[in-house]
Amino acid sequence: MELLIYGLINSISLVLMSIGFALAYGVSRVPNFAHGALYILSGYLTWIFLNRLQMPYVLAIIMSLLVAACIGAMLYRSILIRVRGMPISEIIASFGVGVAILELLRWFGLRGTTYMLPPFAKGMVYIGGVPVDLQRLIIVGAGIAVVALLWFFTHYTKIGLALRAIAQNERAAMVLGINADLVATISVALGSALAGLAAVLLLPLGNITVQTGYEVLIFAIAVSVCGGLGSWGGAVVASFLIGLAQITTVTYIASHYHLVVAMLTIILILILKPSGLFGRQKELEERV
Amino acid sequence: MSSNDDWVLEVRDLMVFYENALAVNNISLKCRTGQITGIFGANSAGKSTLMHTISGVMLDIKKKEAMTGGERITLFGAINFNEEDIQNLQPHKRARKGIVLCPERRQLFTESSALENLKIGGYLADKAQAKKTLAYIFQLFPELQKLKNREAGFLSGGEQQMIAIGRALMAQPKMLLLDEPLLGLAPSIETRLAKAINEIKQQTGITILLGEQYARPVLPIIDYGYVLENGSIVMEGTAEDLMNNPDVLSAYFGM
Repeated sequence: MELLIYGLINSISLVLMSIGFALAYGVSRVPNFAHGALYILSGYLTWIFLNRLQMPYVLAIIMSLLVAACIGAMLYRSILIRVRGMPISEIIASFGVGVAILELLRWFGLRGTTYMLPPFAKGMVYIGGVPVDLQRLIIVGAGIAVVALLWFFTHYTKIGLALRAIAQNERAAMVLGINADLVATISVALGSALAGLAAVLLLPLGNITVQTGYEVLIFAIAVSVCGGLGSWGGAVVASFLIGLAQITTVTYIASHYHLVVAMLTIILILILKPSGLFGRQKELEERV
Repeated sequence: MSSNDDWVLEVRDLMVFYENALAVNNISLKCRTGQITGIFGANSAGKSTLMHTISGVMLDIKKKEAMTGGERITLFGAINFNEEDIQNLQPHKRARKGIVLCPERRQLFTESSALENLKIGGYLADKAQAKKTLAYIFQLFPELQKLKNREAGFLSGGEQQMIAIGRALMAQPKMLLLDEPLLGLAPSIETRLAKAINEIKQQTGITILLGEQYARPVLPIIDYGYVLENGSIVMEGTAEDLMNNPDVLSAYFGM
């Protein structure tokens, strides 16, 4: 029971961590490998707004999400736009920016255990005899809400549909009047803001450390690769698979294996089904 | 001839080079308002290059080629749409002005459903326009009605082409560029689509530029035609003019 509940919570945390990345890379095919860095940066900024500038918590969160979105948009406008259409260069460029942000943060003194965000709510409830703190319940609720909102956004709004269009066929989208660069900018900005949202929700459970930034990026890649690029349901299902597997290894083997699980998933999926569990692109290409 | 002076699109002295190879050689053509203009030619005659240049996709191809160190593409000449030079406009801005391309090989959003493809096409349309056009498309191609929730990539060639044409119509075009709409389709579907294209012209008044390799199925519906060979126009005239030229008949119309 405890395994199941904490497995579910961990899975939803993974959904939150990776959904911004999956949105940018999977949905509009703009790889944002600075995702983990933006995650930590948002957490750090929230901490600064909160403790140094004495802002109210909600305002601090909103401000840091806005900053994350702006940095994402700038990342696309100033760097990715120059290497657009060359996937390897896009990855290297954005990863470079991510490393720069993280190492600068380390250099500016983001070390140790002083950097912590307060939880939204203190308290504990018992679910089936298992104690669960309120922060984790909020994470579950927020995770479900984010997935539902994004699903609605990408299926029923013009911009959301345009995001999916440029991922599938950029030139066909252009001749229909879709400004591909604008849409890609929105996608990266939204993805970055989602990284920030995940950060403010998840970081109260631990410390803000540079190392977490790299881990989040690896989790996000693992989830996207496992679920299949461009597949929405895939990313969510993959989060649950990896999330439950992680909790199982943590419970029965050792607590430091959660990164190994993520890495193993990437390797296994690439060997067994390179297009991911729900990636259907290959099948469709063969048909034409 | 007085009403024939009403042009929507005018291409003047257009030249397109890939490196030093000439793909489009000094082409001038005009599309009359509310008419179907045909462009016929074999593979590599320059039809798609011309379509890409008019729709603006060539600017994007050029940019990407330059970025990756690929082919150097050079464009000369003028493209005027409603008397305005659009040669340097990005493709999405041209679409906003009303030039919409229905690309060769359909280029559908294969992972989205048929209906979503049409909805994406309606990016530029307001709610009322989108609703009206959608109803029109289902009236034009009733078979799409029951396929609308199927994934576009799994539909047959003819159904995909109907979606591609519908998707282009959703963008509220004033000038519709159809690049080989009948490519790879069965003869009965060819006739069906040619008829539909003619209906679009008659019912909506959209000006159409139609590129095809094999002219026979579309010859009855075009008002004026150009024959391309190695990037140059070797002949032009009304459908009757083209029909009456024996060389053209045997070479391009298979008669």
